[in-house]
Amino acid sequence: MSDDTIQVGDVFHWEMSRRQFLTLGAATLGALALGTIPFGNQVVQPARNSHLPPTKFEREVFTLCEQCVWRCGVRAKVYNGKVYKLDGNPNHPHSNGMLCPRGQAGIATLYDPDRLQFPMVRAGDRGSGMWKRVTWNEALDYVAGKLQAIKQQFGAEAMVFSSTHNLAQIQFENLLRAYGSPNYGTQRSLCFNAMIIANLLTFGMQEPNRDYSAAKYIIYAGRNLAEAISNSETQDLVAAIARGARVVVLDPRFTKTASKATEWLPIRPGTDLAFFLAMLHVLVTEGLYDKEFVAKHTIGFDQVTKAVKPYTPEWAASKCEIPAATIRRIAREFALAAPHAFIHPNWRTSNFVNSFQAERAMAIINAISGNWNQPGGLFAGEDEEGGGLGSIPQPPYPRVTALRLDGVPWKYPLVPLEIGVYQEIRDAILAGKPYQAKGWFVYRQNPIAALPERRKTLQAFSKLDFIVTVDTTMNDTAWFSDVVLPEATYLERYDPLAVVGDGVFIRQPVVPALGESKSALWIFKELGTRLGLQDYFQYKDEEDYIRQQLKPLGVSLEELKAKGHYRPPTKPETHAELKFNTPSGKIELYSASLAKSNFPGAPIWQEPPAPPADQFYLLTGKVALHTQFSTQNNKLLHDLFPTNTVWIHTKPAAERGIKDGDWVYVESAAGKVKIKATVTEAIRPDCVYMPPGFGHLSKGNRVSYAQGASSSEVHLTYTDPVSGGQALSQTFVKVYKA
Amino acid sequence: MAENQRRWGMVIEIKRCIDCKACMIACQVENQVPLGKHRNWIGRIGPTGTFPNLGLKFEPGNCMHCENPPCMRVCPTGATYQRDDGLVLVDYAKCIGCRYCMQACPYDARYVHPEGFVDKCTFCVHRLDAGQPPACVETCIGGARHFGDLNDPNSEVSKMLATRDHYLVYAEAGTEPKIFYVT
Repeated sequence: MSDDTIQVGDVFHWEMSRRQFLTLGAATLGALALGTIPFGNQVVQPARNSHLPPTKFEREVFTLCEQCVWRCGVRAKVYNGKVYKLDGNPNHPHSNGMLCPRGQAGIATLYDPDRLQFPMVRAGDRGSGMWKRVTWNEALDYVAGKLQAIKQQFGAEAMVFSSTHNLAQIQFENLLRAYGSPNYGTQRSLCFNAMIIANLLTFGMQEPNRDYSAAKYIIYAGRNLAEAISNSETQDLVAAIARGARVVVLDPRFTKTASKATEWLPIRPGTDLAFFLAMLHVLVTEGLYDKEFVAKHTIGFDQVTKAVKPYTPEWAASKCEIPAATIRRIAREFALAAPHAFIHPNWRTSNFVNSFQAERAMAIINAISGNWNQPGGLFAGEDEEGGGLGSIPQPPYPRVTALRLDGVPWKYPLVPLEIGVYQEIRDAILAGKPYQAKGWFVYRQNPIAALPERRKTLQAFSKLDFIVTVDTTMNDTAWFSDVVLPEATYLERYDPLAVVGDGVFIRQPVVPALGESKSALWIFKELGTRLGLQDYFQYKDEEDYIRQQLKPLGVSLEELKAKGHYRPPTKPETHAELKFNTPSGKIELYSASLAKSNFPGAPIWQEPPAPPADQFYLLTGKVALHTQFSTQNNKLLHDLFPTNTVWIHTKPAAERGIKDGDWVYVESAAGKVKIKATVTEAIRPDCVYMPPGFGHLSKGNRVSYAQGASSSEVHLTYTDPVSGGQALSQTFVKVYKA
Repeated sequence: MAENQRRWGMVIEIKRCIDCKACMIACQVENQVPLGKHRNWIGRIGPTGTFPNLGLKFEPGNCMHCENPPCMRVCPTGATYQRDDGLVLVDYAKCIGCRYCMQACPYDARYVHPEGFVDKCTFCVHRLDAGQPPACVETCIGGARHFGDLNDPNSEVSKMLATRDHYLVYAEAGTEPKIFYVT
């Protein structure tokens, strides 16, 4: 490394030192000195001389995508020592040989000049951009020392840990449980707690799977698969539509999925519950359900029948603004198509504090339609962590007696411990109750960008003595941390194996890790060892970890690496009696567990709040080119989706003198942001919509910094008392010209 | 089939395009297209109508590899040429960057590369010659893009065109484009 690069021990300002940083990047990346680097894979000759891209590659490596959480199979092609192109792995059921735009753009994540490449310790105020480069030993010793000190002085429970749906999360959880903290946050309460807890209570599983191959009728109320892409399921939906399946989309916004549907119903936010209660009313009063299945496999039908008696389509029409005749017709069409029909369990359903009841109503309709295990119906979801893999030996975890900060289970008795109520952790840090947390360990997650009421999250950070973040990128949370540990990107590291369907899949390095970035498996083992918890990390290195996982399968690591996947010989299918993992062993239409916790055992109407006349519902929803808060610095994706705007309907826009492209303020009780307006017919006049993932605070990510506005700045925090889900559409905003 | 007997063509099923733009990024990476430039696109028609009676359609496109390419006719240096199998290509070494071709192309399929020459979709000729489909076709998660030999009656594209309603863009210009849109 030359003299003008940042050396160990150097204190530097992130922005001032960009020139040096780039030089460091060039030194590390080798062939990057080609002048204007578009997105990092400039591995061929300048175009004029040799315009034909390569078709022969040094090697092709099968691995797993991580541009979102769907983990598609990837075939990575290496040319001149660099990843040239990523294709979908035809042998992976999540990709089927195709990648979505985010997957295609993976090389710009790998070769992002802004990514983290060495451990850093804060050298100024939090968020000042002043850092000191340190060695891994210094960084790990420092983090372990802080963790020990907090544990000794305040107890292990004073450390909060959080992470979201990563393959190495299992070892992060291992670390926090061995350390002894009960405080663990995932992002699920910001997304679909209502869905998973409703399905757990009804079917005994978090998310029933869907068979699109023979589906004749599909209803969505919070799953925009054309934009919130889950590769294989999006493929399935498009194929079903092309085949002629009827698709009904309930959404206050005319999404791309709505545009592909047979029928779009612009429902009033917060009233999906009324729609499905009325649908249930029609089905039971007209006898449009599978009587044999209900008698054999469910309990509580009579209680549900009684509960939904008042919810006529006429009653629902006044709530959800969908004509009674339409609701009645859809109920009958659905029943006619059953069992080759399903209401999608949906993801984006923690929208209102009544969303849990809506999810229960949907689950019950699915159940009584008899679509379980039927072609075109629902079936048991994938088991992600089993698959007959070997486990790594470890001693039992220490007993934890401290209350959890997120209120599980003492405030939220039905929320599973491994899911939690993320936003409550932040509020407990602020309140210092039931005790004061002192530190936060974040593993590839972004609470500052993701949690509602960003200002509160920043305040919560300021109450903490110690914040450490493991990530590949200097996101907003890393920017406000004390220590940043660089993880290698998904194209450079091993992770624990992934099980999908009947196959085992490997994430493996395609190219060596840039700079000093390391795998999470390595980082957690090193930290565990320094904390005296080495017995919980009984693997020599990443390859040894995977070998131990493979042991019972009788396949070698080398074989798995060569093909990227392994399918054990299939066991003969057993046609055992349908059994559900509920207290009764049956599908629980009426839930005694709910009743025991003083919640209604059958779904009932709960009136959601509505905005005052001059305000709007603030809607959220994903876009096809970005994943949550993490891809906005990817230059290929930024190029096509650089910033967000707020959608507002033509009529209220005209009333406010707002024209397309005008700057406006979006203001709630939590805060206000300045953003450009998109004036459109494609949204209800009482709603506005902001895509998430913009308005980043971190100057460490030069592409995404200050692009667009953060919806988290304006979102208010409302938590559903049953599922702990954050009600993300219960924020009401004023919109006016800036 | 010998190269001169082939006629490569693309069939796009409008209904299946969800505007995800995987084709655009796949092309950009595969063909080293500079940031801010694209060889292919997804046209958006809509939202049309008024709330709540709305329509929205996506029309993906790229160089149509016209049978009768106006870009080739106006090229003063012979940089734009047509291969025996109908592919319309640019010999970058001969291109002087005059942009006549860009004026002539009714599809706006060409852009100026920062190095001064004009560039456009090649139907991934390098991949075709290696027996692979274009990158945009391979990764289309909606399954909207189909590719094959129009001269082969048994190819997927020929069969689709024989049985499905389809249209061409600016056919009236006499370009004989080889991207067919199935409705």
